[in-house]
Amino acid sequence: QDVTWRVPTSVPEGSPYYVNFLVRFAENVDLLTDSRVEIQPFGAGVLVPALQVYDGVRDGIVEAGHSTPSYLVNQNPENAIYAGFPGGMGPEAYTTWIYEGGGKEALEKLRASEGMKSLVVGIGSSEIMAHSNKPIRTAEDLKGLKYRTSGPWAAVMKDYFGAVPTVVPPGEIYTLLERKGVDAIEWGPPSGNLPEGFHEAAPYIVVPGVHQPTFLWEVVMKQETWDALPEDLKPKLEAAAELTTLQALTHMYDQDIKAMEQFRTTNVEIINLDPAFIEEMSDAGRDWIAKTAEAEAAAGRGTMKEVLADYTDYRTRWSAESGYLIRNED
Amino acid sequence: MLTASLMFPALFALILLGLPIAFSLTIVSVGAGLVAFGTAGFNQLYGSFYSAVTNFILSAIPMFILMGALLERSGVAERLFRVMSLWLGKLPGGIALATIAMGGVFAAAAGVVGAVEVMIGMMAIPAMQRLGYDNKLIAGTICAGGSLGTMIPPSVIAVMYASLAQVSVGKLLAGMILPGLLMVGLFLAYIVIQGMVRPVPVPRGPVEDDVPLREKLWLTVTTLLPVFALILAVLGSILGGIASPTEAAAVGAAGALLLCIGYGRFSIRVLKESLSITVRISAMILLIVAAGTMFMGVFAANGGATLIRGGIEGAGLGTTGMIVFFLLIVFLLGFVLDWTANVLICVPLFTPFIRSAGIDPIWFATMVIIVIQTSYLTPPMASAIFYLKSIAPKDMTYGQMCRGVVPFVGLQILTLAIVAAFPVLVTWLPGHIVGF
Amino acid sequence: MKTLLSAIDRTSAGLGRIAEVVVLILIVAMLYEVAARYIFGAPTLWAFDIAYMSTGVLFVLGAAQALRQDAHVRIDVLSSRFSHRVRGWIDGIAFLFVLAPIFCKLAWIGGQRTWRAYTLGEVEHVSPWAPLMWPFYALLTIGLAALTLQLAAQGIRALAGRGRPADLTLES
Ligand code: NA
Ligand code: NA
Repeated sequence: QDVTWRVPTSVPEGSPYYVNFLVRFAENVDLLTDSRVEIQPFGAGVLVPALQVYDGVRDGIVEAGHSTPSYLVNQNPENAIYAGFPGGMGPEAYTTWIYEGGGKEALEKLRASEGMKSLVVGIGSSEIMAHSNKPIRTAEDLKGLKYRTSGPWAAVMKDYFGAVPTVVPPGEIYTLLERKGVDAIEWGPPSGNLPEGFHEAAPYIVVPGVHQPTFLWEVVMKQETWDALPEDLKPKLEAAAELTTLQALTHMYDQDIKAMEQFRTTNVEIINLDPAFIEEMSDAGRDWIAKTAEAEAAAGRGTMKEVLADYTDYRTRWSAESGYLIRNED
Repeated sequence: MLTASLMFPALFALILLGLPIAFSLTIVSVGAGLVAFGTAGFNQLYGSFYSAVTNFILSAIPMFILMGALLERSGVAERLFRVMSLWLGKLPGGIALATIAMGGVFAAAAGVVGAVEVMIGMMAIPAMQRLGYDNKLIAGTICAGGSLGTMIPPSVIAVMYASLAQVSVGKLLAGMILPGLLMVGLFLAYIVIQGMVRPVPVPRGPVEDDVPLREKLWLTVTTLLPVFALILAVLGSILGGIASPTEAAAVGAAGALLLCIGYGRFSIRVLKESLSITVRISAMILLIVAAGTMFMGVFAANGGATLIRGGIEGAGLGTTGMIVFFLLIVFLLGFVLDWTANVLICVPLFTPFIRSAGIDPIWFATMVIIVIQTSYLTPPMASAIFYLKSIAPKDMTYGQMCRGVVPFVGLQILTLAIVAAFPVLVTWLPGHIVGF
Repeated sequence: MKTLLSAIDRTSAGLGRIAEVVVLILIVAMLYEVAARYIFGAPTLWAFDIAYMSTGVLFVLGAAQALRQDAHVRIDVLSSRFSHRVRGWIDGIAFLFVLAPIFCKLAWIGGQRTWRAYTLGEVEHVSPWAPLMWPFYALLTIGLAALTLQLAAQGIRALAGRGRPADLTLES
């Protein structure tokens, strides 16, 4: 073995992301480097605080860490583009942008400015917009809705739709939803929510996940850690990362379909939102991120606006021409 | 891995030297942390410390302690126990029964263990001592009653377990209800039987027969009703979806303050003393939790999980043997680790084996949680006893506490055996009450 | 030396007082959140952050005072058989030469975190309220520093044969 890295992530060991992203990456690395690199995965909160994986890498506690740009949005909103934002591209278009449209390079540039090397390890499917105690069908239904959510969606729900974003710590979401202390919650994609049992706590499931059309996780390390690797190993790690991301995404689609089938066998009502309402919420999300990028540019940080322009351009081209694709939707 | 296996003996040695538990955990963590992380070791330990310090679910601890301290300092608890002894005095071990019952009720309001124990302990110990209860029985009753928060929903351990093992929280909480009630039932039965067989250490209460019925009723109404209102406020706010379990602890603390004021027992001095106790005991408990978090991280980093996994795979056990082996590990780790750390290490380790062996995950989870609670009670290393020590009067010795909890540990093991023999106790209820 | 030790005691007691106020802040924040969500239908964005931060702060600020009162639980089955002198040596060496340096280092790292958070303008990672983090880090650092000093003080006392205070049980 040339290299052994302890790699903590931001989700607990039982989480599907842990197995599907990080453990899969460790296995692919082992396979492609002929066991010359060993990745030791660690669940959230064991080696470093769950939300401080990036800091743990920066402080040299661990050689590399696995986390999502979502947790960096408050520090630097450019991360929202990579984290996935309301009204953004879905997984198909987004993955294509990342690997073919310059997304990966833009993310690498952002991390490089922080002295870090990034490998994309995990792109997710769309989340469930809500497990809800009240039916949500129109913008009217969002008014005054006590909705556990976080990040940009909280801002969009509050400012554009008069909903009431509510902060609930993870350990108390189930209890509060079940007891109707909150009206609705969002958490993860179908395969992530199924084991949490939210469908047993609230009678409605609202799709699609306008608020989080996709999401991204990455493995980061200090630039010098990366530079110190033997040259022949670097492309192998890059390949393992990309292989993991693509395998993980198809696996997640498959798990999501099974989870949705499972939901359908219960008495929960699944509400598919009207396209016009979806568009209304997406527009609000895009307006939010455009304004944020504008504010950043005005404050002298222009990168977000540039990347967003690239991103938006790619989305427009994708929307305009992807009509040829067969999507097998009913 | 050598370092990981040396961590436990080193810890025992320091504790036996008489150093505080939290500091013993810290010293071992630092030593092993420097082995695992080199110069970054202290940064890693700071991170673990930070994880514990920012753990929201621990917020319930100071609030429940304040609630108990206010009720005790203001004399409300004394009044409550006087009324109880008026009615229950004839029953063998009446007040011990009431204490267990109170533990059960507040367990249904509290998600974290430790908080309830300290709260009911502060209220019940003086009352039970005044009535001449044996110190051993007092200690056992408080520790056992206070530990019920693990088994009776809402239980933070169960929520965390479910999320780590990816099983339904609702089903797990529902599955634990019957075993939890069984455990309470066994505790109560034991106290009654003990009182009938060996009546000496279990007093029948003071002779207050000469209190006229009218006065007795009046005292009861004016004491029990407000206390029931307080319990109702705490429980009801959770059940009614008004408050989350942690917020309900704040409702309890505020309610206790109102009770003090209502009885005319409130003063700035009472508030100050109660706050001072709250800070001291919270600091004691949370420093153990923080040091335990450090210990767990360093243990994992030194290959502790690999060590245990190697043991599982090397042993070549059948299904039953594997379950016993897992429960034994949980029990032993529970001696030194806080339950959070125990669950964080064990659940991910066991879950794949449990899944592939086709064992019912809810049934297994319930047994693990019973074992965690048992470990929490079992001397010589028992968090329940550490917490009790922080509030116990001088004349109650560590030896008495250890001997006092033994019968209750036995009852816990009996509960475990019954659940192991009749999985239906766990599996029946969830199918009937969870979902739509 | 005596004045130094009592100055340390007074600092710990003072921080303990602040921790007591923080308990009240915690409770008020939680109650306000319940009322705001249930009665007014307008939950706050800050109650959760305030709750976890006050819990952390109250315990770290109270740790030194708890040490002064010998409230950190120990098991004395074996050690109670040692002579008073031996126990004094064990405590003294452990507190003064092992634990004080350890917590000093932790306080130092806490100080670095505070400074970094201050210079970078670090805000809460996931909170929609996104408060600045340095005041919270600073309070943790103060608590750790006070604990360091109190450990040293208790260590010196133990070595001087004035070990565990026997008169401080449940203070009233
Ligand atoms: Na409970
Ligand atoms: Na134990």
